[in-house]
Amino acid sequence: MTSLARDVAVVGVGYSQLSRAGEPEPLVLLLEAVKGALTDAGLSGTDVDGIFEYKFGPESPGAQDVARVLGVPDLAAFADILPTNPSGLGGVLAGVMAVASGACETALVFRCLTRAAGHTGGVVDGPSTVAGRNQFLTPYGYLGGILVEMALKKRRWMAEYSRAEEDFGHIAVNARRWSALNPRAVLREPVTMDDYLSSRVVVEPLRLLDCDYPINGAVATVITTAERAADLRQPPVLVDAMSYGSGRGADWTFNNDYLYGGTFDCADRLWRRSSVTLENVDVAQVYDGFTSVTMSWIEALGACGRGEFGDWIGDGSRIGPGGDFPMNTAGGQLAEGRLHGVSFLNEAALQLRGQCGDRQVPGARVAVVASGLYPQCGAVVLTSG
Amino acid sequence: MTHLTSSTADDRRPVPQPDEITRFYWDGAAAGRLLMQKCLSCGKLQFPPDVCCLSCQSEHFGHAEVSGRGSIYSYAVVERPLHAGFVDALPYVIALVELDEQSGLRLVANLLDATPGTRLSCGQPVEVVYEKREGITLPQFRLVEVSR
Repeated sequence: MTSLARDVAVVGVGYSQLSRAGEPEPLVLLLEAVKGALTDAGLSGTDVDGIFEYKFGPESPGAQDVARVLGVPDLAAFADILPTNPSGLGGVLAGVMAVASGACETALVFRCLTRAAGHTGGVVDGPSTVAGRNQFLTPYGYLGGILVEMALKKRRWMAEYSRAEEDFGHIAVNARRWSALNPRAVLREPVTMDDYLSSRVVVEPLRLLDCDYPINGAVATVITTAERAADLRQPPVLVDAMSYGSGRGADWTFNNDYLYGGTFDCADRLWRRSSVTLENVDVAQVYDGFTSVTMSWIEALGACGRGEFGDWIGDGSRIGPGGDFPMNTAGGQLAEGRLHGVSFLNEAALQLRGQCGDRQVPGARVAVVASGLYPQCGAVVLTSG
Repeated sequence: MTHLTSSTADDRRPVPQPDEITRFYWDGAAAGRLLMQKCLSCGKLQFPPDVCCLSCQSEHFGHAEVSGRGSIYSYAVVERPLHAGFVDALPYVIALVELDEQSGLRLVANLLDATPGTRLSCGQPVEVVYEKREGITLPQFRLVEVSR
C-alpha cells in the first residue's frame, strides 16, 4: 500500500439554528455550524487544512470564505463542488478522499442553504429562448426546477409497480415520527396518512408532503485520519466505505434506468467495498428530497428487491422508532429541514456516538448514509470505532 | 399526421434555440416530420440529439423519420403556475412519450387535447402533432383512439 490510503474518521458535527423565517446572512449561519463542528471535535480553525463544500446556489459561501473567517493557515486541499454531485454528501465524499489520500490531514465539509435557494419551485420568468438540452424540456413547461420530473417519476413508479400513493406517504409520515423527537427539526407536528393524501398537489401527482422543506440552515462536519481521531474529543466514527454512482446515460429524464438512475450502481459499489452488509446496519439515513428518492434507495441498498418497496414497507412502522429498519432518525429533509446530504451524515455519526437523546437507536454501531438522486448518487457506511 | 396548432401573438412561453446538433430536429418538425438521430454504426435511434452515439460513441449519424406513434411512459399535470410564460396555458399535461420504434426512446411533450377530466394512464397510445410557436414548430402529442 502506498501513502495514498489511510483510515478516515468523522470527528465533529455542527449545526446552525434551523429556521423557516427571515433571510439570515448565509455566512453568519455557516460560521455557527463550522465553529460548532470544530468545537465538537476539540479542534480549531488552525487545525483545518482542507475544505470541501457543495456549492448549490450563488448565496452559498465557498471554501475560501470559510478558510478566511476561521483563520485557516493554509488550505492543502479544497474545492467548491458543482450541483451535479450527490447533493451535500459530495463535500463529505471529497473530504474523505482528501484525508484518505494524504492530500490533507483535517477536512472541514459543509452545506449552507437559505430559503432563497429553496424557492426554485416558485414562479419564474424568461428567458424567451432555451438552449442546450433544456431546449427539449423547458418549452414544454418542464419547470419548477425538478418538480415536474419528480411528478413524472412518481406517476411512473405507481404505474410500473401497480402501487398506490400510500407507499410514498409512509416516507412522509415517518419523517414526522422522528422529527417529533428532534429538538432541532423545523417541522415537528405529526402527520397521518390522511394528511398526506389530502396535502396540496404541487404538480399532479406530486404532493406537498412528497417534497422536502426549504429552510435557513447550515451543517458542517470535521473529517480526519482514524489515527488522529483517537486523540480527539468524541468517540471516533470510522468511514468503512464510500461510493459514488451515476448510472449509464447520466441524465435525469432520458437516462437508461428511469426510476433509479445510479442508485443501484452506487449501492452495489458501496457494499462491495464495505466490511459489513445491510444486515449489519443499525440505522439508515436515506435522502428524502422527494419521497420517491428514498424508495429507490431502499431497493438499491438491498432492503428488498426492485419494485418490492411497497410490500416491504408494510404499515410503515418498521422504519419508525422501535422498528427493525430505523430510518431518517432526525426527520430527514422532509421534517428536520432541507440541509442536503451533510445532515444525514451528521445524524448517522451522532447515532453511532450514542448522543441522539430521545431518538437514539439503542446500541447503534453501523450506519448507512445514501445521498443524492438519479445521476447524482453517493453513499457511505459508518461504523463506531 | 400533421395537425397544426398555433399560439397566440402574446404567447410568452419560451421556445427552443436550435444549435448545430439539434437544428435538424426542429427543421424536421417545421416540415411535419419527426426526425431522430440514427447511428450509422450501430443503428440505434437517439433522443435528445447528442454529439455522438451514447451506445457506441460513433459520431456518424443519419436522420431517420419515425412514425410519430408512441405511448405515454409517464405524465404530470401542471395546474399551478411555475413560470410566467405558462400562466395562460394552465392546466397543461406534460408527458414522457416512448416512441414505438425503439424501447427506451423517449421524448417530453405536451398532450394537447387532454382537457381536465380526460382519462389518462401510462401506456395509452399517442401520436405526434405539431405546434407553431414564435417562428418555430414543436412536436407535440395527442391521444389516439385504440382502434386506429
